[in-house]
Amino acid sequence: MIELTHVTKLYGKVIGVNDFTLSLGPGAYGLLGPNGSGKSTLLNLITGQLRPTLGTVRVLGESPCNNAQLYRRLGYCPGGEGLYADVSALEWVRYLQQLQGMTAGQADKAAQNSLDLVGMSSAMHRPISSYSRGMRQRTKLAQVIAHDPDFLILDEPFNGLDPVGRHELTQVLLDWIGMGKSLLFASHLLHEIESITESFLLISGGRLLASGTAQQVHAMMEGLPNEIAMRCSDPHRLGSLLMQERVADSVRIAEGVLTVATQNPSRVFDQLPGWLAHTGMQVTEMHSADESLQALFNSLMKMHRGEL
Amino acid sequence: MGNVGAVFWFEWKRAWSGPRLMGWGLLALFPVFIIGLIRFTADQPPRDLWLGFLFALIPMLVSLLGALLSTTTAISSELERRSWVYLTIRPNGGTAVLLGKYLAAVTMVIPVALLGLSLAVPLSGVEDGFQVWWTFSRLVCLSCPAYSAIFLLLGVINPRRAMLLAVVYSLVFELIISFVPAVINKLTVQYRLRALLVKWCDITPPPEANTNVLALIGNSPPIQHVLVLLALPPLLLCASIFILRRSEFTSSAESDV
Repeated sequence: MIELTHVTKLYGKVIGVNDFTLSLGPGAYGLLGPNGSGKSTLLNLITGQLRPTLGTVRVLGESPCNNAQLYRRLGYCPGGEGLYADVSALEWVRYLQQLQGMTAGQADKAAQNSLDLVGMSSAMHRPISSYSRGMRQRTKLAQVIAHDPDFLILDEPFNGLDPVGRHELTQVLLDWIGMGKSLLFASHLLHEIESITESFLLISGGRLLASGTAQQVHAMMEGLPNEIAMRCSDPHRLGSLLMQERVADSVRIAEGVLTVATQNPSRVFDQLPGWLAHTGMQVTEMHSADESLQALFNSLMKMHRGEL
Repeated sequence: MGNVGAVFWFEWKRAWSGPRLMGWGLLALFPVFIIGLIRFTADQPPRDLWLGFLFALIPMLVSLLGALLSTTTAISSELERRSWVYLTIRPNGGTAVLLGKYLAAVTMVIPVALLGLSLAVPLSGVEDGFQVWWTFSRLVCLSCPAYSAIFLLLGVINPRRAMLLAVVYSLVFELIISFVPAVINKLTVQYRLRALLVKWCDITPPPEANTNVLALIGNSPPIQHVLVLLALPPLLLCASIFILRRSEFTSSAESDV
């Protein structure tokens, strides 16, 4: 599906991707790396937005640069927002499907179906400027699946989604994989990728540091702290609940943001929607500080350099 | 071509917003305001001077400014909004965006210039008003596509400095070099438009000024100028597409480095 052979991308004197060699067959893969690790550069190379300074990139057997045939089979959801504020989600997704080569009627139908699939059917006629961050994220996802591509590439798709939105998007992506389609999913959060796929690629400093399964990554992270920050309607009550349920090692609250230290982030993310529904509390924003991953990447970088 | 049509209609629909319509309205009414000021506050100028005013205000100012504002930022606006990647990840998406936006810009600027012209010519009170309107309409229809193609190319060459490049080009080439009595002025759109104006409107310069005027308008037949102006847009559009397909445009926010 993807073949990268000694790919290096230089921005002047700065290295974006460094001697990257990779061969992936069809399936679902998580590209895990801290911010600034080269994930987006790698995705830009795979989607043909950038050309490698050295090496070759092949996607579905073809060079991705200006490749119209490949773009018919590819769906890409970039990390940046990039939506038009003055049009509705339906108009925007329909426009992009027309660019994909559909007629106006086909594009309209495809846009409505995909917006319905991501839970945006009730708001799809409103201007995008009135959307929450989560709604914009769903709209971005709708444009990428509307033309039914064979291979999806997603860059930080969970950014800004609330727990319910994360759960729904996870289901959409799992259904997608279940249909036998391929997926490459970049994130700096382990649990996000873990909820979608077992296969990981760990990248840092523009290099492929390791690849493997979730268990192997967890084994590497044993004993390292995990932190999750949440903005919610009642942080004191939620913090207390998480301590009672013994999923949090410690909690701290500053400026309305609840920060939870936990050894078991997956349990927090799995069970949080149920607790919120039961108590009537609302979480409007959720981020993972993920110091554990940063520590892991630092260790892997040192191993890579031969310092460990 | 379907992709180009999609971009064209999408841009056209977005243009029907209050602020944009107000901008186009102001651009159309500016020459009318200036012509009105001249007509009602100064002595009535002779016909040839009126034609000079109309030429400076419509094909020079409205066409050039309208094209500059609507096509120069065709790429940079998408890069700044970070929407470029959504468009170029489609089959021939970049080319479709370029051509669709070009067509949308040209079909928006021409009616604006024609509206200004249709109001300004009767206001000026020139005797052969319809003949003047018809001549200037042809100049507008030749100048808008040519200017738009030039500014589109500049926007593709350097999207980050597109507006600066376009302003410098307008001032240096179209305003200064076009009036230099040398071969270089033949490279400008202004030279061609000016030559057509003089020929089509039968402007007769005073005998003592003939040599100087000849240097500014040349003695080529009008058809040559028309053919150059018609050939310019497709050539420049091909150059823009060629450069676009060889370029790497990603917003810094989408890149890790």
